[in-house]
Amino acid sequence: MKKISTVCPYCGCGCGLYVHVEKDIITGVSPVRNHPVNKGSLCVKGWNCFEFVQHPGRLKYPLIKKDGVFKKSSWDEALDWTAENLLKVKEKFGPDSIGMLSSAKCTNEENFLMMKFSRAVVGTNNIDHCARLCHSSTVGGLAKAFGSGAMTNSIDEIDSSRVLFVIGSNTTEQHPMIGMHMLDAVDRGATLIVADPRKTQIAEFAKIHLRHRCGTDVALLNGMMNVIINEGLVDLDFVRRRTENFDDFEKIVMRYPLDIAEKITGVPAVDIRRVARIYATEKRSMLFYSMGITQHITGVDNVRSCANLVMLTAHIGLPMTGLNPLRGQNNVQGACDMGALPDVYSGYQKVTDKKARKKFESAWGAKLPSVPGRTLTEMFDAAGGEIRAMYIMGENPVISDPDASHVTEAIKKLDFLVVQDIFMSDTAELASVVLPAVTFAEKDGTFTNTERRVQKLKKAIRPVCGAMPDWRIISELSKRMGYEMEYGATHEIMEEAALLTPSYGGILHHRLNNFGLQWPCPGIDHSGTTFMHRKAFTKGMGSFIPIDFVPPAEPVDGDYPFILTTGRISFHYHTGTMCRRTSTLEREEPDCFVEINPADAESLGIKTHDRLSVSSRRGEIVVNASVTDRTPEGIVFIPFHFREAAVNLITNPALDPTAKIPEYKVCAVNIAPVVPKPDEEGKFFSRRENR
Amino acid sequence: MKNKNKKGLYLPVDAKINDVIDLTPDVKLYKLRKPQSFFYSPGQFVMASIWGAGEVPISITSTSEIHQDIELCIRKAGFVTSALHRLNPGDSIGIRGPLGNRFPFEDAYGKDVLFIAGGIGIAPLRSLINLVIEKRKNFGKIALIYGSKTPTEVLFMPETQNWKENGIDLTLTIDVECKEWECSFGLVTEHINRQSISFESGYAFICGPHVMINAAMHDLSLLGMPAENIITTIEAHMKCGVGKCGHCYSDGRYVCTDGPVFSYAEIREFGMASP
Amino acid sequence: MKDEFVLSKTNLPYWLRQLRKKADLIGPLRSLNGDIIFSSIVNIHEMILDCPASIPSPKEFLFPQKEEMYKFSQKGVNTLNDNGKRIIFGVRSCDISAIALLDRFYGGLLEDDFYMSRRRNTCFISIACNNPDPTCFCSGLGTGPALKTGFDLQFTDLGDRYLVQAGSREGLRMINGFMHLFLLPEKADRDDQYEVLLSSQSIFEKRITLENVRQKILAGKVPDSFWESVASRCFECGGCVYECPLCTCFNVIDWKEKDNKGTRMRLWDTCMFKGFTKMAGNVLPAGKKIMRTKRWYFHKLLYYPEQFGRFGCVGCGRCTITCPGRIDIATIANKLD
Ligand SMILES: Cc1cc2nc3c(=O)[nH]c(=O)nc-3n(C[C@H](O)[C@H](O)[C@H](O)COP(=O)(O)OP(=O)(O)OC[C@H]3O[C@@H](n4cnc5c(N)ncnc54)[C@H](O)[C@@H]3O)c2cc1C
Ligand code: SF4
Ligand code: SF4
Ligand code: FES
Repeated sequence: MKKISTVCPYCGCGCGLYVHVEKDIITGVSPVRNHPVNKGSLCVKGWNCFEFVQHPGRLKYPLIKKDGVFKKSSWDEALDWTAENLLKVKEKFGPDSIGMLSSAKCTNEENFLMMKFSRAVVGTNNIDHCARLCHSSTVGGLAKAFGSGAMTNSIDEIDSSRVLFVIGSNTTEQHPMIGMHMLDAVDRGATLIVADPRKTQIAEFAKIHLRHRCGTDVALLNGMMNVIINEGLVDLDFVRRRTENFDDFEKIVMRYPLDIAEKITGVPAVDIRRVARIYATEKRSMLFYSMGITQHITGVDNVRSCANLVMLTAHIGLPMTGLNPLRGQNNVQGACDMGALPDVYSGYQKVTDKKARKKFESAWGAKLPSVPGRTLTEMFDAAGGEIRAMYIMGENPVISDPDASHVTEAIKKLDFLVVQDIFMSDTAELASVVLPAVTFAEKDGTFTNTERRVQKLKKAIRPVCGAMPDWRIISELSKRMGYEMEYGATHEIMEEAALLTPSYGGILHHRLNNFGLQWPCPGIDHSGTTFMHRKAFTKGMGSFIPIDFVPPAEPVDGDYPFILTTGRISFHYHTGTMCRRTSTLEREEPDCFVEINPADAESLGIKTHDRLSVSSRRGEIVVNASVTDRTPEGIVFIPFHFREAAVNLITNPALDPTAKIPEYKVCAVNIAPVVPKPDEEGKFFSRRENR
Repeated sequence: MKNKNKKGLYLPVDAKINDVIDLTPDVKLYKLRKPQSFFYSPGQFVMASIWGAGEVPISITSTSEIHQDIELCIRKAGFVTSALHRLNPGDSIGIRGPLGNRFPFEDAYGKDVLFIAGGIGIAPLRSLINLVIEKRKNFGKIALIYGSKTPTEVLFMPETQNWKENGIDLTLTIDVECKEWECSFGLVTEHINRQSISFESGYAFICGPHVMINAAMHDLSLLGMPAENIITTIEAHMKCGVGKCGHCYSDGRYVCTDGPVFSYAEIREFGMASP
Repeated sequence: MKDEFVLSKTNLPYWLRQLRKKADLIGPLRSLNGDIIFSSIVNIHEMILDCPASIPSPKEFLFPQKEEMYKFSQKGVNTLNDNGKRIIFGVRSCDISAIALLDRFYGGLLEDDFYMSRRRNTCFISIACNNPDPTCFCSGLGTGPALKTGFDLQFTDLGDRYLVQAGSREGLRMINGFMHLFLLPEKADRDDQYEVLLSSQSIFEKRITLENVRQKILAGKVPDSFWESVASRCFECGGCVYECPLCTCFNVIDWKEKDNKGTRMRLWDTCMFKGFTKMAGNVLPAGKKIMRTKRWYFHKLLYYPEQFGRFGCVGCGRCTITCPGRIDIATIANKLD
């Protein structure tokens, strides 16, 4: 019996856990007691994160699709075939006809290799990953404001803060261990303020819960800042010494007096004023936000408004004081840091920056493209046209991307599609070749959690027969495409990444044993950074950016009278590839549901468990009703984990103009009860295998 | 109840399916060859298992004194029961049991007996009804109220006529009025006070959906039946059937080993949760 | 049966090394990040001997989180009883008390063969606790810091030597072949032992009397609004049940591979989930969190005493460490008492 210390593969909290192994079988997990994030706790996903690893459904050999059916193949055959086809496409249509999707579920090393593969081997900047769909607005928005888009503080600091302002984050369900620290802070007397249209669990502990209308965050924040400016609560010293562009910003904010803010957001003016006063006057105020802020056509605007607010009150640059975007996936922070984005190399060095490009060119011995590539959403739009082939590693865009049927159509138009995954996902079904990869328990590497903590992952068991770690697959493929990648182990990749990435300069595997290091960590003698923007912002002066309110892209109307907002639930994770193969999690929530307010339900004659059709201009799904006052009137909520009722068939693909993030959080829908067809029930039972 | 399966508490034994009878579109009756030394009484159940699908608790609906085979009456309700429904004569079902306690029918010797069944609830009661008919002279008046949602859902229709001929005062009822039906209408509870049995001294055995059970128990006690004489079975999620897995636990009682048969008195005492 | 010996600390590694030849020796190690974890011992000198707290509880060796029960295929069914020999060194008294109760639960007339097969092949060497954590409260429950019965071997650390008490035949057997390593205790040894016990009693920070809480609940003095406020803090992580050395619930699932091959296994399960009692047709007997919180507390505080004459809690403090909502048994008992 061995216990291997590693990191949870689900969310961005990055909890430490032990994987228990006996005779190469995982027999359980347990939490790391001293870990600064989870302190001996885990959430239900963490506690059950071992079950899918040795699930019989794992992909165990490469598959090549010939005449529409998958045939088992050897690794050599599959890799040769993949290399050959990618080269063919590259020759015929140029490197920019190939698109890469890297993965926030894979390690830093793998993301680094993927971006190297894309840029140095294929020769394109068309690389992106699912951060596009969750926090691209953070990366873009905060880069402009501070110069760096990550949590400014550490999770461990939350306990001792005085004010917690949580906007657009269902923390206890989505980042349970951060939620735990928040409850601890509340127990110690901190004031919790939650802004969320839904009554989430964390909102029950809030002193003030602002239930603003979906998509009116800018108006809410501008209203608060209006109060702060008018009541003289601005930290003028800070504004003068450390920021720029205050005057332009002030002009816009002055257009949002309380009565206007109240009209737009639906939040009583007194509440906005109270919140503004509390937030501005207390010290040690932490602001948290998550997808409720970012997944809008105004995602970048929302993020910048948050940045404006913290600068206005000088709530940044100190311990327990800052702006904290909560990143979703276990390694979405790392995937961004490692440059799995179309416009930057690792450490957010711009591809358009000649000096940076030179550095990478000389390190890699290859000519690199200088024009930023296509984003994930743009790749699918161009599929079949300028994009002819795609290489998707550990992502399932068919379920996760907005207007999913459009993505499926797009993928079908590709000449060649490589999918590298651990299970046969819906995207893999459409692939020309499927390469079986391994899970977190079967490989080494590092994950970067949402507080910038780079932590080491340790191999606990041998890979299930036939599967290969992603980094191996990439280097093998690269070799076959005429570019040698010689790495004996993952720490060699990290060494290369550290060399080329200033903020990861001192992050080397052997230094990560004690709960890792938090970047920026520029050198081998640097002990990491627990809170950022001390004394100066990453980019020097912080920038105020004037933001006007823009309503959501799709207003409700007579045909589609409800606002649909989407999100996650604590028992599931994203498209469910892992958690829905975990019996405990699947048993808890086996079916998709739509949360609807009792008042709306009554007017439509709906009871809990009724089958409902939810339709938008783009499509229709059928789900079970769940009548609850968690969602306010006029708004319905659907989690997006369920492939049989994929909510992204109906969400709005309207994009934020700069970050290209889709508006998952608001679209207009109609709701109607349906009578189940007689044969539907049978299908419904047989679906649930292996619980 | 002893652990008879020497090989292990959770190891099912194979029982060959001798016959399958479609009772309604979603209920089938399985006749299984009885394994050696399998002795059971009315009210007990087995864990029916299919390797690769799972195990579910199913009441034994046959009567050991009368039937050669073990009979199980299974409604398609979910994953495992759907898998069971795909089996044919000649296949086998793994069974563990008999498990649980039994109906305390000896207590009712010399007394009137009222059976109340709703839907699939007739399955466990059928075992007892047939036994009571077998020992007809030991009991006083016997009545059965059996309710279903629609006429197509009535189980064991021919057999109920047989019971009637054997002197059971039979009330067949369906929830909502419709043309093809010539017996009674309305919920079972609407028929209780029309029964000619003695409520003060008689016994009632009730099986069916929770709501029905609760209403019937309540009504009977209002009609003067002592709580100890009102006997029912409780349904609960079960995984092991032998008091280990904890799924069926509720307020200090394991339904699988302390039950599934309980009296109204016990249910009230332990405040057992009923949804 | 109670036999007492003295073992010099110099002899300990040798003795353990000999024992290890016949069994998997499992003991507490300090992991790289400072935690204490129980795992197979490769280097005996790395073992932590001062009786540290560990999570999870040693029930994982008798009833692992995931245990394969049967392998099935066209050809038939194989029972996968684990009968590997294990010696587990350095267990705390509270956990030994818990195992004594688990033995009663899984044993008896309906004997759980998977548990018992592991149990029969596992010996526990416990240490009379001289190092209680701030979260511990076994002293109020009589489940620690030292035990009178129920152990295989109990060690008491007397500085340069251990007082060793054998409480079972298996315990004695571990000593028998090695009598040359052991001495018989003298009065000084017994006096030292007594002093160790006294001093460890004085370290306890928590004084919790679950009996008071039980009386309060029985007297109906705990309103539902209290449980409502408890339930609202529950994250539904299941940690309290997974960590508890006494919680026994499990789920059984089948994994099917190709050609009708597969595995039936059991996994730890918890009553903190609504799906735990879910019945066909989406009937949820415990759909509200408060029902499940109450169920857990009432089982431990009211029904364990009824069934076993002891509380369903040994005061190990693990739920206090693990519960993210801070609604563990010690906190709640403190609030109620
Ligand atoms: C004592 C007893 C006797 C029963 N007798 C009969 C009978 O004679 N005929 C009949 O058709 N049905 C009977 N049932 C109900 C039957 O067990 C459930 O319909 C069946 O378990 C549903 O399983 P599933 O896998 O098809 O459904 P799913 O919804 O897919 O169930 C998943 C799991 O939940 C558990 N489960 C779900 N519902 C129940 C339930 N109601 N009771 C217990 N466990 C459940 C099972 O472990 C099952 O494996 C009985 C139940 C009990 C407790
Ligand atoms: S909080 Fe996130 S990282 Fe921690 S155990 Fe849960 S899913 Fe894993
Ligand atoms: S450990 Fe705490 S939060 Fe988790 S299920 Fe138990 S009571 Fe709830
Ligand atoms: S079914 Fe397992 S304890 Fe009753």
